[in-house]
Amino acid sequence: MERIKENYFIYADPTKCLGCKSCELACAVAHADSDLLTAVAQGVRLQPRNSVVQSNNLIMPIQCRQCEDAPCALACPTGAIYQEEGMVKINEKSCVGCKVCVMVCPFGAITVTADEAENGSSRTKKGKARKCDLCYSRMKDNKELSCACVEACPTKAIMLVDIESYRKKLLEARAKEAVQAYKHI
Amino acid sequence: MSNKRSVDPCVDQLVPIANKEGIETVWDRYEAMKPQCGFGQLGVCCRICWKGPCRIDPFGNGPQRGVCGADAHTIVARNLIRMIAAGAAAHSEHGRHVALTLLAAGEGHAPAYRIKDEQKLRSIAEKLNLEPAGKDLKQLAKEVALASLEDFSRQERTTPCSWAKETMTTERVDKLCKLRVMPHNIDAVVTEIMGRTHVGCDADAVNVMLGGLKGALADYTGMYLSTELSDVIFGTPEPVVTAANLGVLKENAVNIAVHGHNPLLSEIVCDVALKMNEEAKKAGAEDGINIVGICCTGNEVMMRRGIPLASNYLSQELAIITGAVDAMVVDVQCIMPSISKISECFHTEVITTLNENKITGATHIEFHEDTALDSAKKIVELAIDAFKRRDNSRVNIPSYKQTAITGFSAEAIISALSKLDANDPLKPLIDNIVNGNIQGIALFAGCNNPQTTQDNSFITIAKELAKNNVLILATGCGAGAFAKNGLMTQEATVAYAGDSLKAVLTAIGEAAGLNGPMPLVLHMGSCVDNTRAVKVAVAVADKLGVDLDKLPLVASAPEAMAEKAVAIGTWAVALGLPTHIGVVPQVLGSSVVAEFLTEKAKDLVGGYFIVETDPKKAAEKLIAVIKQRREGLGI
Repeated sequence: MERIKENYFIYADPTKCLGCKSCELACAVAHADSDLLTAVAQGVRLQPRNSVVQSNNLIMPIQCRQCEDAPCALACPTGAIYQEEGMVKINEKSCVGCKVCVMVCPFGAITVTADEAENGSSRTKKGKARKCDLCYSRMKDNKELSCACVEACPTKAIMLVDIESYRKKLLEARAKEAVQAYKHI
Repeated sequence: MSNKRSVDPCVDQLVPIANKEGIETVWDRYEAMKPQCGFGQLGVCCRICWKGPCRIDPFGNGPQRGVCGADAHTIVARNLIRMIAAGAAAHSEHGRHVALTLLAAGEGHAPAYRIKDEQKLRSIAEKLNLEPAGKDLKQLAKEVALASLEDFSRQERTTPCSWAKETMTTERVDKLCKLRVMPHNIDAVVTEIMGRTHVGCDADAVNVMLGGLKGALADYTGMYLSTELSDVIFGTPEPVVTAANLGVLKENAVNIAVHGHNPLLSEIVCDVALKMNEEAKKAGAEDGINIVGICCTGNEVMMRRGIPLASNYLSQELAIITGAVDAMVVDVQCIMPSISKISECFHTEVITTLNENKITGATHIEFHEDTALDSAKKIVELAIDAFKRRDNSRVNIPSYKQTAITGFSAEAIISALSKLDANDPLKPLIDNIVNGNIQGIALFAGCNNPQTTQDNSFITIAKELAKNNVLILATGCGAGAFAKNGLMTQEATVAYAGDSLKAVLTAIGEAAGLNGPMPLVLHMGSCVDNTRAVKVAVAVADKLGVDLDKLPLVASAPEAMAEKAVAIGTWAVALGLPTHIGVVPQVLGSSVVAEFLTEKAKDLVGGYFIVETDPKKAAEKLIAVIKQRREGLGI
């Protein structure tokens, strides 16, 4: 049986985040099929899938944690949200923009927005649930994730976390401390 | 960082109304701006050339130099002194405008203006070595104006600006000349800063900062002449009892708010409004025309005419939200562009007056010295017209207002002191400083900033200092904060002054015929008027034969925000004053610049910056500095 790998996710170190919102811009541009200056010049609607949030004196970007048992996927009445390829995906075609996912997300990481301004149709505003997709569309040939926010962060506060390697490093560090302690027994 | 917006009760009353009506105020916009970019806060982003923007990683992981190779120290220092240049430019343009108006008055081209204070004109002429004896007033006005304008045009680099040289202690002038930071020409120094901070120029942070000191002293020069020449044209302020806060608006009057910084326009609006009172009554305003002030234009007319002050910087929008302001007339500086947007929700006419300062959506009435009366008349007519459109069901004038005794120019303070000792007016002040009845003097200046609770730091620090017998002077939005919150009253002296300070203020007040003490905080004018306090300080220093950096004097700008405040704070340091700021300045990205401002400056000029965001701790630090200075003097 194939071993199930935990989902990757984006995490930011609040002690290094300066709140410059470079990650928001990079994210928005990465999802706009354009570069920043062209997008601004052409009036393309830029929509970041992360949000730099300040709470008291701490600042950090918040985005989808790619939950293993994702409340959004559980709650989605049309089944538009689902697990695939190690991430929580949204099938925009099935999304009706009901915002239940927005309400149940423990991180406030989902927004419902439309790509273009309302076109006057009385039936639909074309709003779709959107969230961090780990820059899936930018995935490199070797299947390596290449997240725009991680690349844009000028203080390297944002990381793409592979929880297995993260845990391995954590274990090593903790073991080192324990070994140090044993020396003095 | 604070959750409470303001200690001003009018804010608590009007902001919910704004929220309910969906009108955005400065506090909403501040919240929406959060988090504010950390690179900007640290001063480490550079947009001086188009290879950038560049920014330095303060954690040392990312880039440590911009594309050109400038490091954090160079970038922070350049950014800071560009702010100083802008501050100096703002004050000096104001000064130039006043000087040119004095020239026009002397030449007879400005019928709305005359020389109201002849004695002051003559004393200035003497100070500028113009030998006033026997000269006719208009001739003298011209000569003084031209000599002042020379401080904007002198090309001889080794001759200091007259307004700087003649208004400081000799020792200070020598020290600043030796450091090569004494300005010779205000315009040239502002230009020099822009030149030396251009890509590829001055890159040594300490040298850049010295350029900043020079820029700040150019600012001092422009401010000084601005205040003094304004006094010549409009009169030197004398104590006057008036009121402050939005409760000064009247429901049954045409309310005209004069806002900005320059008295050249507002004074004439006041003159003309007086004459048009009947027209306002005819339009249905039983109480005629009610002029109120906002920001420093407000302080100018408050000091000279006793016109009440409606608000200081941060609550300017709320004046319109009362629904009772019929016209807001603005000139230069600190005018939030949002007022024109907010005025769309009401009947209020926002009127801009200078071609260099327009706001989209506002009505523009061009103002020139030679046709000032016509412009002022048009402005008042627009206000009366707007009054007719006022929707009384939307009027919410808060009932809060406080009495404020204002108008303490240097001359007024000396005159009050002379009631105690006519031959030697400074003696009672100096005696009381020496014997410790007055421990020291603190000057509060400038600005509100939504990063702090509006007015709170001013009030908290001042009460603490007063309790410790420190005499308090205030200008600008600091003065506005004290006036609105009742600290410019005799009752405040009784309530908050330490025993010995109370005794001194009572003795002076009684002698000056106030039937009680002087107010706790002495209102010395608008933010351009900080040099009034320098005038008193230099007189004391000269009399004692010591330089300013030895005296128990401190300055504080606890809610600073403007480039002008950066310039003022820096010249206060250059004059030798320990200067507190209560908002973290955008310099922490460079240890060299931060150290220069808080330490190295002390060795060079005697003054230095103290950064403390907690008002209680700030008061403790200021008191400690005053004690230290007293020990230095052996008193």
